[in-house]
Amino acid sequence: MESFVLIKQVPDQSSKAGINSDGTIDRAKAKRMLNPFDRYALEAALQTKRQHGARVTAITMGPPPAIEVLYEAIAHGVDRGFLMTDRRLAASDTLATAYTLAQTVRYAGSPDLIFCGLQTTDGDTAQVGPQLAERLGIPQVTYCEAFEIRDGILLARRAIEGGSQTVTVPLPVLVTVANSAQRLAYPTLRGAQRVQRLMRDEAARAEVIQIINLDDVGADPERCGLKGSPTIVAATEKVGEIGGNCQIFQGQSVPSLVKSLTEAASISSYVGAR
Amino acid sequence: MVQKRVLIFAEQVNGELQPIGLELLGSGRLLADKLGATLSALVLGSNIAHLASTLIGHGADEVFVADHPELAQYRTLPYRRVMTDLIKSWPEPPHTILLGSTTTGRDLAPRLAAHLETGLTADCTDLDIGPFEYSNSKDPSKSGLFRDCLYAIRPSFGESLKARILGPWKNPQMATVRPGVMVPLPWDGSRRGEVFQVPVQLDPSDLSLQIVETVRNLSQTTDLTRAEVIVSGGYGLGSPEGFELMQQLAACFPNSAVGSSRKAVDSGWIPYAHQVGQTGKTVRPQIYIACGISGAIQHRVGMDKSRTIIAINKDSSAPIFKFAHYGIVGDLYQVVPEMIRQLQQNQSQPQAHPTERIPVLQGH
Repeated sequence: MESFVLIKQVPDQSSKAGINSDGTIDRAKAKRMLNPFDRYALEAALQTKRQHGARVTAITMGPPPAIEVLYEAIAHGVDRGFLMTDRRLAASDTLATAYTLAQTVRYAGSPDLIFCGLQTTDGDTAQVGPQLAERLGIPQVTYCEAFEIRDGILLARRAIEGGSQTVTVPLPVLVTVANSAQRLAYPTLRGAQRVQRLMRDEAARAEVIQIINLDDVGADPERCGLKGSPTIVAATEKVGEIGGNCQIFQGQSVPSLVKSLTEAASISSYVGAR
Repeated sequence: MVQKRVLIFAEQVNGELQPIGLELLGSGRLLADKLGATLSALVLGSNIAHLASTLIGHGADEVFVADHPELAQYRTLPYRRVMTDLIKSWPEPPHTILLGSTTTGRDLAPRLAAHLETGLTADCTDLDIGPFEYSNSKDPSKSGLFRDCLYAIRPSFGESLKARILGPWKNPQMATVRPGVMVPLPWDGSRRGEVFQVPVQLDPSDLSLQIVETVRNLSQTTDLTRAEVIVSGGYGLGSPEGFELMQQLAACFPNSAVGSSRKAVDSGWIPYAHQVGQTGKTVRPQIYIACGISGAIQHRVGMDKSRTIIAINKDSSAPIFKFAHYGIVGDLYQVVPEMIRQLQQNQSQPQAHPTERIPVLQGH
């Protein structure tokens, strides 16, 4: 069984480094991290390795430092990685990204399962997974909370508004993984040692991580980057900081604290029947 | 003259229209009027003919109804097939297509956009029509003055920025829109519109995914996007049992839900569906009561558009007190039970008329 997991390096929003005064990101200076949602996708892919002996391939697209997230994935037990990096990918929107990733996935093999994070924390679109599935012509299960595989069939539970849904679908399928109780464990000692070796030894690295560009995967540059993107960010505006004027109640007896607060915040009018 | 259309996707569940469809009609009406376009609504399902008049009464000029047993419950591939077939049967693509940023809309819209090879802006909070002048030396083919473009405005980068996304080079221009943001038009029974049946031709490959079971049991306490009051618990609850107290406080309000911070979800105290924040849901209730939540940026971006934020926390230096509107510094296990007691006392007294519910606001 072949499991692919798509991961992305994103700016760390809890760090102030690399955040310009207008709120935009200086990606060269920003502290980088693995997209938090992708940790769940990674855990899901590793589950197929533990339970079904799947070979797990991690794919990322981004500037050269994005190789860091492949090392991180390998430390957790991923078998091999692909870094798609090319200057012509600058300004890719989700449509162009999904096209590039589809070409990359085809180049890397024929996966039975593709796991993606639900969305990224820098784009927040949740679009690339479904767009990639459409490009590859395979079904998708989004918002997946839990799954198992039996006889080539994926049985999955997905979140929907106010509940959940259980579905079955034959492989191959693309799954976007919702945050769930399944947490990614710490890297294994063996994985960490493997990464140490790969970082020291370029020949060993090249056997595990392929660094590829648009030409390698036969992608049409006209469909990538700015040229392949039907949308652009035309303007951005910083959203003002809120707050700074919290009315704080403390020190009195609890009943009078609560009374003061509920009156000030006009809570009572929300109580009772509609 | 070719008909210019703004098309909205009206979600239904068990034959019942979801609020987002009417919200999209409200927003779509403004866009269509600015464009001089027809506002079209599309609804897919089984035994749903009765929905057309509702959609017309709320602003649609025409309604396309795809009625077929295989469409009874939403599934990506059959819905994608029917929608793309319909759009391709028109002499010209719609100017704009809008879907909701629900689990359905966010599943369907990207597939549709990829199939139509067009742009899609996610999770918009504002839409408009306007001109756009663009020149880019790296891609001169995109340069020029474009009239009547869709302005898709969305929060980005953890809600710290508002971005205006444009894609006038290709129609349809597409966007998904956050539930609860756009305002539906009031029902007008005198409105007239046309209703069309959409032919449904599915390929066997569209039906490979099967729904085993759909459970919607969480609506009372989990539908965070629709709740007027959200009571949220964090790691400061100390144990999963704390959520029973959150539940009791939420029960004081008729339209309420229980939320949570990521740390409480990661600790296994409450399911992910309750999580508010960057990796959970974005909410904007009238009142958000945060109990034992410190207010890290990842949580804040999911809830800081709430109309009134109330924080209860032992730690007076918790970041949440920097952006809450009201706060109690104290032990939530003393404060919350007292709050429940006082609210229940209140409940037995006559209620203010709903239109009089105008909370005292700070900082908005």
